Amino acid sequence: MSRFPAARLAGVAALALLGFLLPRLLGGSAHVYDTLTTIAIFSAMSYGLDIILSDLGEISLAHTAFFATGAYAAAILVVNYGESAWVGLAGAVIAALALALVLGLITLRTREFAFSLVTYAAAVVCMNIAANWDFLGGSDGIVGIPPLALTLGRFSFVAGRPAQFWPVAYLLLLFVLYVVARFRRSRLGQAALMVHMNPRLAAMCGLDANQVRLHVFLVSAPISALAGWLYAFQRAYVGTDLFDTYFLVLMLTGVILAGRRLLLGPLFGTALLLGQKNFASLGAYGDALVLGTVLVGVLCLCPRGLASLWRRRAIPGPEAPSLPGGPVSG
Amino acid sequence: MNVAQQFANGIIIGHAYALVAVGWTLLLGAARLVNFGHGQMYMMGAFVAWWLMSATGLPYAAAVPLAVLVGALLGALMQRLFLRLTLSQDLVNLMIATLGFGQILQGAAGLAFGAKPERLTSPLQAITLGGARVSCSAQDVLLVGATIVVFLGLHWVLRRSRFGAAVRMVAEDPPLAALYGLRVAPVYLAIFAFEGAAVAFAATLVAPRTPILTSIGFEQVVMTFVVVVLGGIGSVGGSYVAGLLLGLYTAFFSALVSPAYTTASVFALLIVVMVVRPGKLAASGGFAR
Repeated sequence: MSRFPAARLAGVAALALLGFLLPRLLGGSAHVYDTLTTIAIFSAMSYGLDIILSDLGEISLAHTAFFATGAYAAAILVVNYGESAWVGLAGAVIAALALALVLGLITLRTREFAFSLVTYAAAVVCMNIAANWDFLGGSDGIVGIPPLALTLGRFSFVAGRPAQFWPVAYLLLLFVLYVVARFRRSRLGQAALMVHMNPRLAAMCGLDANQVRLHVFLVSAPISALAGWLYAFQRAYVGTDLFDTYFLVLMLTGVILAGRRLLLGPLFGTALLLGQKNFASLGAYGDALVLGTVLVGVLCLCPRGLASLWRRRAIPGPEAPSLPGGPVSG
Repeated sequence: MNVAQQFANGIIIGHAYALVAVGWTLLLGAARLVNFGHGQMYMMGAFVAWWLMSATGLPYAAAVPLAVLVGALLGALMQRLFLRLTLSQDLVNLMIATLGFGQILQGAAGLAFGAKPERLTSPLQAITLGGARVSCSAQDVLLVGATIVVFLGLHWVLRRSRFGAAVRMVAEDPPLAALYGLRVAPVYLAIFAFEGAAVAFAATLVAPRTPILTSIGFEQVVMTFVVVVLGGIGSVGGSYVAGLLLGLYTAFFSALVSPAYTTASVFALLIVVMVVRPGKLAASGGFAR
């Protein structure tokens, strides 16, 4: 397809338009808009983790903290300081970058489970600080976030109802998809993959693994923070429940369910999971149970994701080289 | 501040940290597995004991062994689920799978036990020992004694018994152990069952100190992780010492500075250690010493 850039572009544009009209095609009720907006926000959040998990091959458990950082920064700037949503957006990105820089430097020399443990502990510490520091609202959180109002020159846009949120969430999702696709083709994305798959080769090519890891971390954190920024407005409230493991497991499952390093994978995975939660909910505990079961089931039955099943059938022939755990996850 | 009392508190909390961590220490040393469901398994142990006591009227002394049994079964179930991933040493996927397992436990516990805080009551909690300056409950004495027994027992099994030798061999090189004719899967089963049983045992002894909620697992696991890392990954003796030191540290930190930021300060301590001694985070060498 890459030989016909115009055709490819038209295809992507048609798909993007179809995606935008999707809530209307599904009936256009407030519940449908709300669900799809939430799917867009949470899959944007998952993409932040996706590039760490799929490209760098590490499991960051601090991405709920980046997500929450974005939400808290927006809430504090808009509610406590009366700033605009744009300032909230900038604050969310800057705060997430600052946190990612600190965490990135701390975890620079840790690998594998040590990295995961330290990022997990960091998320718990962030939650503790949010619950105890009055500046961050303490255990009550921050309430009364106004409807999202975006002003661009003479054009202004206010989103209060679910249907009005959808365009913003959808644009955010498209932007994140674009960033992730660009990242995968960028020099940094290639370097991340090489550091992950073959650290010795990367070292011989003159790549500084620690620097690559830090840079990928810095790209990834604002993505999750952007999602947090919009989520704060959608829910009109931020609190320590943003750090809940449910969000963490949701992100991980979203990334793994379809298969790693698939551009639309996290979107597909998140849509499936939230579709269940919003249309066939079993209550908060039942949904947590379903989520955990899906995650364990996928990892035990087809660790390379659902897409690998489809591919195996589509291309009969010699098996892919079976490194332990597969070439992507090893 | 009553220094002697804080010292006693620190020793008690330290033994609690060490006992909660002992199963994970073995799991990490022998199977290279980081169990992020550990905190939820702790929660499960406490709630199973609570449920047995409140629903069936069993005494505390009978609920403890039953909760330990349930914990061992949970550990064994986990091993059956993750056997393929463990044998192929697919560490990244294993770690995520344990998070999912924890999520399952938390959801199931919420459905079964509800969202209210509960209290696991031990008759020993009401008995106060000691004088005016330093006092503790009989439950605390039991906790400290049981921790010492568990650590000595584990040390003896690993160093002196044939089974311990098998565990050390599997830890060193699973394929080589299999080539030698050792059946690796039962050894893993025993390690996982020990992890489940040990954390449930710890929960039944530690949980009477505070109210329990089905959501306590998320935070609970952090202290365990710090104990395991500070003790030298997989080192049984090291995690006992680390637990004790960490207990003293948190006791004095909450008394002198602020109880709310204890977890944050422990995290800061961990980072200092990581910067000063980065080699501590490499999983190697120290197992079973």
